[in-house]
Amino acid sequence: MEEKILLNILHEAQDKHGYLSEEVLKKISKKHQIPISRLYGIITFHTMFRVKKQGKHILELCGSPSCLLNGAREIERFIEKELNVEIGETTKDKKFSVYKTSCIGCCDGAPAMLIDGKPYVNLTIKRIKEILKELKNASTKRN
Amino acid sequence: MQVLRETNLQGLALAKKLGKKGTLELLAKRGLVGRGGASFPTHKKWERALSVKTNERFLICNADEGEPGTFKDKFLIKNNSETLIEGILIAAFVLDAKRCFIYLRAEYDSLRLELEKIIKKVLKKSKMKVSIEIVRGAGAYVCGEETAIIQSIMGRRGQPMEKPPYPTIKGLWGKPTVLNNVTTLTCVPQALLYEDWNPNYRLFSISGEVEHPGVYEWELGVKMSTILGTVKPKGKMKAMSFGCFGGIMPVYKSNRVSPALICDKNCHHGAYSLIFVGEKKNIVDVNLSMAKFYTYESCGKCTPCREGTIRLVELLKKIKSGQATNKDLKLLKELANHIQETSLCGLGASCGNHILTGMKNFKKDYKGFIKKK
Amino acid sequence: MKIKLNGKHLEVNGNKTILDICKDNGIKIPTLCYHKNLFPEARCRLCLVELNGKLVTSCSTKPIEGCKIVTKTKKILKARKMNMELMSPGISMDKLGNDFEARKIYEEVGLDNERFKPRKNYKVELGDSLVRDNNKCVNCGRCVQVCSKVQEVHAIDFASRAHNEHVTPYCEKTLAGVACIRCGQCLINCPVGAITEVSHLGKVETALKNKKKQVIVQTAPSIRAALGELFDMKTGSLVTGKMVTALRQCGFDKIFDVDLGADMTIMEESAELVRRIKSNETLPLITTCCPAWILMMEQSFPELIPNMSTCKSPHEMLGALIKSYYAKKAGIDSKDIIVVSIMPCVAKKFESTRPELYTDVDYVLTTRELGRLIKKRNIDFANLPDSEFDPTLGISTGAGDIFGTAGGVMEAALRTTYEVVTKKKLKKVEFKNLHEFKGIKEGSIKLRNKTIRYACANGGANIRELLKHKDDYDFIEMMACPGGCIGGGGQPIYFDDETLKLRSKALYKQDSKKELRKSHENPIVKEIYKKCLGEPGSKKAKKFLHTKYKKRSCF
Repeated sequence: MEEKILLNILHEAQDKHGYLSEEVLKKISKKHQIPISRLYGIITFHTMFRVKKQGKHILELCGSPSCLLNGAREIERFIEKELNVEIGETTKDKKFSVYKTSCIGCCDGAPAMLIDGKPYVNLTIKRIKEILKELKNASTKRN
Repeated sequence: MQVLRETNLQGLALAKKLGKKGTLELLAKRGLVGRGGASFPTHKKWERALSVKTNERFLICNADEGEPGTFKDKFLIKNNSETLIEGILIAAFVLDAKRCFIYLRAEYDSLRLELEKIIKKVLKKSKMKVSIEIVRGAGAYVCGEETAIIQSIMGRRGQPMEKPPYPTIKGLWGKPTVLNNVTTLTCVPQALLYEDWNPNYRLFSISGEVEHPGVYEWELGVKMSTILGTVKPKGKMKAMSFGCFGGIMPVYKSNRVSPALICDKNCHHGAYSLIFVGEKKNIVDVNLSMAKFYTYESCGKCTPCREGTIRLVELLKKIKSGQATNKDLKLLKELANHIQETSLCGLGASCGNHILTGMKNFKKDYKGFIKKK
Repeated sequence: MKIKLNGKHLEVNGNKTILDICKDNGIKIPTLCYHKNLFPEARCRLCLVELNGKLVTSCSTKPIEGCKIVTKTKKILKARKMNMELMSPGISMDKLGNDFEARKIYEEVGLDNERFKPRKNYKVELGDSLVRDNNKCVNCGRCVQVCSKVQEVHAIDFASRAHNEHVTPYCEKTLAGVACIRCGQCLINCPVGAITEVSHLGKVETALKNKKKQVIVQTAPSIRAALGELFDMKTGSLVTGKMVTALRQCGFDKIFDVDLGADMTIMEESAELVRRIKSNETLPLITTCCPAWILMMEQSFPELIPNMSTCKSPHEMLGALIKSYYAKKAGIDSKDIIVVSIMPCVAKKFESTRPELYTDVDYVLTTRELGRLIKKRNIDFANLPDSEFDPTLGISTGAGDIFGTAGGVMEAALRTTYEVVTKKKLKKVEFKNLHEFKGIKEGSIKLRNKTIRYACANGGANIRELLKHKDDYDFIEMMACPGGCIGGGGQPIYFDDETLKLRSKALYKQDSKKELRKSHENPIVKEIYKKCLGEPGSKKAKKFLHTKYKKRSCF
């Protein structure tokens, strides 16, 4: 039988649980006979695996040169102020987790970011305002 | 664009008709070389893997594009993935690979479901008994390095290994493994099928302060004036950076873009990504942002890269703050050179290039920050 | 293969690394992350040489036909120095003890620049046996490799990446909070002293000053074969007599020999084996001298609890006897006795905290800590005269001596079991098949009409391997550290198997020189059973000399 690729196993678990808690890691370790220390080493090696509970939406701001040259820093400062959160943290209302990421391959739409994995390009402060408003509204409605 | 031509499994049909040897010969004749950056002849890579006697060979399609300013692979996955899958099948046919992987970077996860559908569709049409699995990357640039990608797929931390042994001889689970870039594999059926296929065409990812950023196809040696005429800079340009690998230099209209321009000696000329920097920007800022990228993406395995990249950032920050002296500039240069010379993998070996070229080509920007005694 | 090494034309074996070729040719190259028994990951980049003009790491690179290798140029020396400088901000030379490899390398490479400030800010992890200070760590990866590959314990691994890459148990827990077996092989393999033992030295020194307490020390079999190394004596020097003299000079009131505890263990274990065979109880019987192995069993193989001998480890047995048999004999209240064990082991520190055992032994010092104590007292160890253990609990047999080396417990047990069961004298006292330096050893012996199949494993990976075939055997010895206690985590830092072989040889020599070589011949053992315990396996023996185990989390 072909063994399953560990990265895919971890992704599936994260898709299901939102983040990779100690309990989830223990389950994976037992099921696939992989030492838990190695699992922890792998998830912390990658930036897209989370070991803590995340906000409802994950914002990943691109911080590479093309985006910076086109005003990414202003976008970053605006988001920090607007959501009252620092990069790498989750808002108090648990709605947003904000990260900075390496190039997301959207240099032709710089500045860009990923929201829950989906690219948003050609960002301006005005557009960010709209996007954040939409996300906030959507999540309040659902709640 | 040549690379957007569709081949509708005709390339695969031709390969099967020609047989393994015939296919390799034709690829050699057409002059297909790797598009990931190292420009290694594709047929040679495949032949190396074939030279090993084994019951199993693997193929990995490297879709872990991640160098800042590069987005051509994404462009192809979006616009011509059927041809890409066909390329994978041709390689699988030649190599006798039963299990193929596409290592797709996490940042492109939004393309995954669509790509899975295409894989299913093409596989069904080809009737080949091959599995093509998408491995979901998770945000680690270094996993684009060939030995790191192998470690990563095998369930290890994606840290590069010393070569030799090369993956073509001893790769995934100890078996010969061929790694080809998305663009290379997309070119395979096209190169086989079309007699007028031009091996010198390259995809250029253009970004930065230009009106029309995007992916373009030009022949190597294309004049800078042609590029500028097409992408329309926003104002006067101060510099252009070849991704993060290739270094940073002034923009001269008469220049022709070719490996010779990008690297003085034998550096990686990379994936032809050009980031244009406007005249108002300071190169130290650009270098700092690139240095931060390397500091963030270094895998941590070897001393010079793990410890050195963070010191490069420290030094650049010190320079920007106006607290640095000429001694710090000297140290910056020494350190950048040192990391390049003593690191384990390609990431370390190229991570100082943007600083060294920045310091050389834009002395004024650096000197402007230096404390006068 | 023909190569040119530093201008000399040579014919070399192309399968060897450049580092090995250089060694063969008397060229010294500094290494840090390299270890003979581990895979060369080429992390530290100190062993750089030039191969056809390009800098490569000699530990991981093989020569190519006709290549030119140079090992000492300005460029090489500068590059090595720079890597040292980059690595070193976390370590300060004055804090670095003399015992560590790094100090010698620093002196060799020459570290004169300090252009970078220390940048690490990790919390020092204090455990029950081991202390980890990631601020000193240079990410060489030897601890990670030894823990995962040699021991197959996987208690630690690298986490995070880039400059944040660090060694840690999962989820940033402490070693005491995860399934670590406390073998201390990480410590032995750490070149910079980022991992050390929890020191009991301070407490022991305080106890020595307390006039109201009688401080009794007992030394494990393997200490005498390794302690001399700390005083620049030849590897494999047997220093039993000097050790006893030094301990007396340090102020210990009585000096007893754990070898006697070993003899007692053999009496009990052998009786247990015979009983189990006779009454068809669970087999194989597995030895329990090694506390790291016990932890490993409790964490990873709790289903083996019925197979485990219930015998306490030798020093716990002797500790229990000191506080009962000896206390009574000497007329001292056992509350006024402090028992200090000198052990080759850091897991013994954990063992002495187990609730079912903590009264037997109060403090555990490693061989290295004892070395420190002796140095602190300015004792000129190498030139000390010999003296004898205190006889009350200080007479032992050769069987006790060989406990310190892998296979020794088995051999000692077989000597006694054979003679007790068959009532015949062994023709050959030595079991040469168990003297080999091997990870797994096995054999069989005929006892009347029953053939006993036995096996021994040392090193975690070998233990796991042997367990796959455990049902092929009746009696199994397990030692967590490679080579047994001579290679224990509390021993002087060693670099290669040669050291272990010499230490082992010293113990076999001590055994061969003794008149009494079988545990049941020990007059003290006989006296203890006669005056106190009755016979091996008796109710009283069970109370003092046996213990129990429990299942622990495998994470």
